[in-house]
Amino acid sequence: MIAARRIVALGLGLLLLAGVSVGAWPEVPESWQGSGDGMLYAYSQRSVLAHQSVLNPDNRIARLPETATTAEVRGQLALERDDLRVFLRPIATAGYYRQDQACWDEQELYLSQWQARLRPTPTVSLAAGRELLNWGPGQFRSPSSPLYFDNGRSNPVRELSGVDLLKLAWTPDAHNSLLVAWLSGSGHAGAQEPPRWRGTWLAKGERRAESWAGSIVLAQQPRRETFLGAYGQWSASDAWLLYGEAGSGTVQDLLHSPPDPEQPWSLQPESPRRTSLLLGAAYTLTNGQSLSAEYLCYGHGYSRGEAAAYFARAEAAAALAPADRVHALGLALRAAPDLLGRHYLHLIWQNSLLAGEGYWRLMYSHSLDDGSGEAALYLERPLSGRLSVFLMGVLNRGGTQAEFGRLIDHGLMLGCKLAIP
Amino acid sequence: MHSVAVLLAISMSLLLAALPAVAAPAAQALLQASDRARGGGLPGIVWEIHLESREAQRVLEPQRLAVRAVDDASVAETLEPARFRGSKILQVGRNMWLTKPGLAKPIAISPRQRMSGQAANGDIAATHYAADYEAEWAGEQELAGEACHLLELTARHKRCTYDRIRYWISQARSVGVQAQFYSLSGKLLKTARFDYEHEIVFEGRRIPFVSRMVIQDALTEAETVMRYLGVQVRPVQAAEFDLGQLQ
Repeated sequence: MIAARRIVALGLGLLLLAGVSVGAWPEVPESWQGSGDGMLYAYSQRSVLAHQSVLNPDNRIARLPETATTAEVRGQLALERDDLRVFLRPIATAGYYRQDQACWDEQELYLSQWQARLRPTPTVSLAAGRELLNWGPGQFRSPSSPLYFDNGRSNPVRELSGVDLLKLAWTPDAHNSLLVAWLSGSGHAGAQEPPRWRGTWLAKGERRAESWAGSIVLAQQPRRETFLGAYGQWSASDAWLLYGEAGSGTVQDLLHSPPDPEQPWSLQPESPRRTSLLLGAAYTLTNGQSLSAEYLCYGHGYSRGEAAAYFARAEAAAALAPADRVHALGLALRAAPDLLGRHYLHLIWQNSLLAGEGYWRLMYSHSLDDGSGEAALYLERPLSGRLSVFLMGVLNRGGTQAEFGRLIDHGLMLGCKLAIP
Repeated sequence: MHSVAVLLAISMSLLLAALPAVAAPAAQALLQASDRARGGGLPGIVWEIHLESREAQRVLEPQRLAVRAVDDASVAETLEPARFRGSKILQVGRNMWLTKPGLAKPIAISPRQRMSGQAANGDIAATHYAADYEAEWAGEQELAGEACHLLELTARHKRCTYDRIRYWISQARSVGVQAQFYSLSGKLLKTARFDYEHEIVFEGRRIPFVSRMVIQDALTEAETVMRYLGVQVRPVQAAEFDLGQLQ
């Protein structure tokens, strides 16, 4: 652990030295430039919860809203000079929720991301702030990221929040970069949860070559095993993009589910080291539409026996006293692996992200372990240069004792977004 | 007498064999000089592009892009329409990514996506035909009353947006005035015409610089007019092309 810190500290020193030795600023006049804009979202969603859910009977455990109406402003403010940049992404949100007979509302104002960045030389940048350290070509999940395994790509409306950090990046040319970061907290998410990432060191090297790009990631959390990650992509032809991501590490506070349902659940402060791998291929048609297929092998997921025992224990919890049942099922939901199984297939059919007439995406995620699946459709249509309407529908199948059918049967979201000013 | 005839024949053969070798560098030099007027071979270029397009009678919404480019790397940021503001397309070699504010992470896209949209990514970035294409001189032609060299360009590598280009270079101004873009199968895709009302200073010399490009689709009635504004020749930091710093 101490050795790892020394290596990172040495790396930081070398980066600074390299930057100072390489860098000499060209004579460019300095002037401050500011910009500010944002997007106003208004959307309403309705979820039909799984009937007779084993893990969430009568919605008493997860307490998921059945309808939600949300208004949200996502701002983007920047002030920059040639060597200095300050960037803020404030989000103000107000939501009205209903669950059975209960109604409530919530308001929140927070910084989803921010950054103060200094470039002391043309090749080195120092930054402090709250950033999304999210990477890799995977759409379904990102096993190469220790922070964002769920990379947020399955819901185009959702916005991820960054982690608090200090960052040093060295970019000697357009093809190579190296960053070292120290995480001081979990960002906005850390306000509700324990600050999981405090004290984590992270190093990432990236190479962007002629037709491929790849990266290696190393992360060291205090008193945890080192996380190792890597990803790569290869433009095999004009139409084909082949890619992969891998990660090896441990998970904090993971629910262990022995295959024997008679044995109880247990919470592992740190799981054994496991490796996850994602392989993907995307083909772009001449009309700009693309088809993608991804396979994920998730090392922290349950085997079929462990998953069956997980649901069997949840079913048996019905016999417990109400308080014990809430505790047991709450633990089962909160501490379960990000994905219950080990083998997944994810398919995407979408039109060009650059298309001016609107964007649509059809996704299907399938568990190869329990046969359950989730189909999702996202449609976005511009009404003017500023205003778009969107729709997202989700349909789960597989039943209440399977990955995708355990909580929500289907859902629909309708909304609009308006660029401001 | 016989030996003189043999010597003459050998000399003639050598001369004939050497002719293409002389023409090729000349064609390449013409191309290199014309590239500068479209941003190629410069230490870095920053410009804003205004795109206006129509498909038959339908006028598409105008676009405004801020482009920074060096060698084989470019980043194009959308300024208008407002709903796409802040979206960026990064290209390094054949690798391409798309990102926009609020997006969870940059999305890797295939090279074919560079052909999508009103103008190909290869049209909005700086032109490096001398590095990307093998040039062959194909004669002289007059275009709108201007004497031009006609060059046949063949793609050297897969990252090139077009497989083959016919390129007319003004003899007097050393700038490309018209281009025809072809697919691998030899199908004409687009025709482009260029205006040069800007001027830049490079290595102490004033050279004309592209101000307008009109692209006509050969397969449909679509037409795109690109206007280049705020042209600056200056180094662009490598960090601008760093995927981790695209925010």
